[in-house]
Amino acid sequence: MKLRLDAYVDLASPLHCWEPRCKLVALTALIFAFSFVRELRLLPAMLAVSTVLYVLSRLPLSFLVARLRLPGFFFLVVALLLPFLSGTTPFFHLGPLVVKKEGCLHLLLITVKFLSILTAGIVLFGTTRLLTLVKAMAALGLPTILADMTVFSYRYLYEIGDNLRAMQTGTRLRGFRTRSFRGLGTLASLVGTLLVHSYEQADSVFKAATLRGYGRSVSSRGDFQAHPQDLAGLLVGLLTAAAFVVAEMFLRQWGGKP
Amino acid sequence: MHIPDGILPASVCLGGYATAGAATWYSLRKIRRKENPREGIPKASLLTAAFFVASWIHVPVPPTSVHLVLNGLLGVVLGYYAFPAILIGLFFQAVMFQHGGLTTLGVNATVMGVPALLAYYVFRLRNFLGKGSRVGTGLCAFLAGALGIGLAAAAAMTILITTMPAGIGTEAERTSIYALTLAHVPLMVIEGAFTALVALFLQRVKPMLLEG
Repeated sequence: MKLRLDAYVDLASPLHCWEPRCKLVALTALIFAFSFVRELRLLPAMLAVSTVLYVLSRLPLSFLVARLRLPGFFFLVVALLLPFLSGTTPFFHLGPLVVKKEGCLHLLLITVKFLSILTAGIVLFGTTRLLTLVKAMAALGLPTILADMTVFSYRYLYEIGDNLRAMQTGTRLRGFRTRSFRGLGTLASLVGTLLVHSYEQADSVFKAATLRGYGRSVSSRGDFQAHPQDLAGLLVGLLTAAAFVVAEMFLRQWGGKP
Repeated sequence: MHIPDGILPASVCLGGYATAGAATWYSLRKIRRKENPREGIPKASLLTAAFFVASWIHVPVPPTSVHLVLNGLLGVVLGYYAFPAILIGLFFQAVMFQHGGLTTLGVNATVMGVPALLAYYVFRLRNFLGKGSRVGTGLCAFLAGALGIGLAAAAAMTILITTMPAGIGTEAERTSIYALTLAHVPLMVIEGAFTALVALFLQRVKPMLLEG
């Protein structure tokens, strides 16, 4: 399983050097501010902010494009339905079908929002190791059980993925093909075996982790130190997020129709 | 069933986080009441990773194939750890594959996690039929698996249809929700059957895993 989330975390951009807690809070605020936007007039600003973030992160464009493939299918379905189903004002005719203006505008809104949120998310998780971000979340108050479960699960994800691949290869070599419902029992046994292996492995993991000090209360606050430039970045991020929320409320209240 | 970013209004996303927060609080409270809650964490974590990996197995549904959601099975095996496990699994899917989203994480976790907790309670009904009974285990696991995906599909479709498109009438909305939920009935049967087969396998090989 090639997850490659950490592929570019060792670059040296300003976003890579940003203190993880400040980055997490600022970019999360920005992501939620983007999701608050419903005014079409704010879409260019949203795209501009996310583009600036991505350029500053120095992540390659291919990294972003590769991550658009899977959600792209969902958006394809939405793009095929929404312009025909949503709204009442005819925009243009496509043979016997009527394309509605409201549907097209709605499609534009959700597509730009999706792209902007996705870009900010990729900047957040593409410029810091996931485990560092989980530690930052724990330092910001994430319950210990959730933080520990996230770290352990991530640690063994690759290993269990490899186990599954080995088992699938084994079943294929013995002539098993998943072509009909009759294979459901074999697939259930495969998943059951994977669960049993993982459960048995967990005992040794717990013992090894306990020997390394797991369970003793250690504060993760000391792991991070924010410098003035980190706090300045946090302030800029929060002010930008607040600006989107205020502009959205202002335009909804007094801006009239675009 | 993984609603991506940008689709839902911010109020629904925040509502999703509020319900996911409440469900997480409830699950963690139950977990902390256990004798040694830390001891269960590595087990739940490795099983979370295993479920995450297993959800990518494709099951044949001729002429195509589907990947299973397994939220009912998660409830059956993990009990109160199921909700945190689903939250973490969805978080990984959102950040690694952009399957789902960060703003919709709360909504997606509620949609899949609450049915998983209900599936756990349904599976516990086997205590009344006798824990060693294969019929009882198979039947309760089937109901748990089918209920898990059925409720999740109904919730996801209701949220999507009532919040997304403007200008669709109430009657059309209701019809769409019924139609899309009914379209999931074959998947409910497959997921239920798969959950029952895995539960029966575990009862034979490692019954401890069915203790929740």
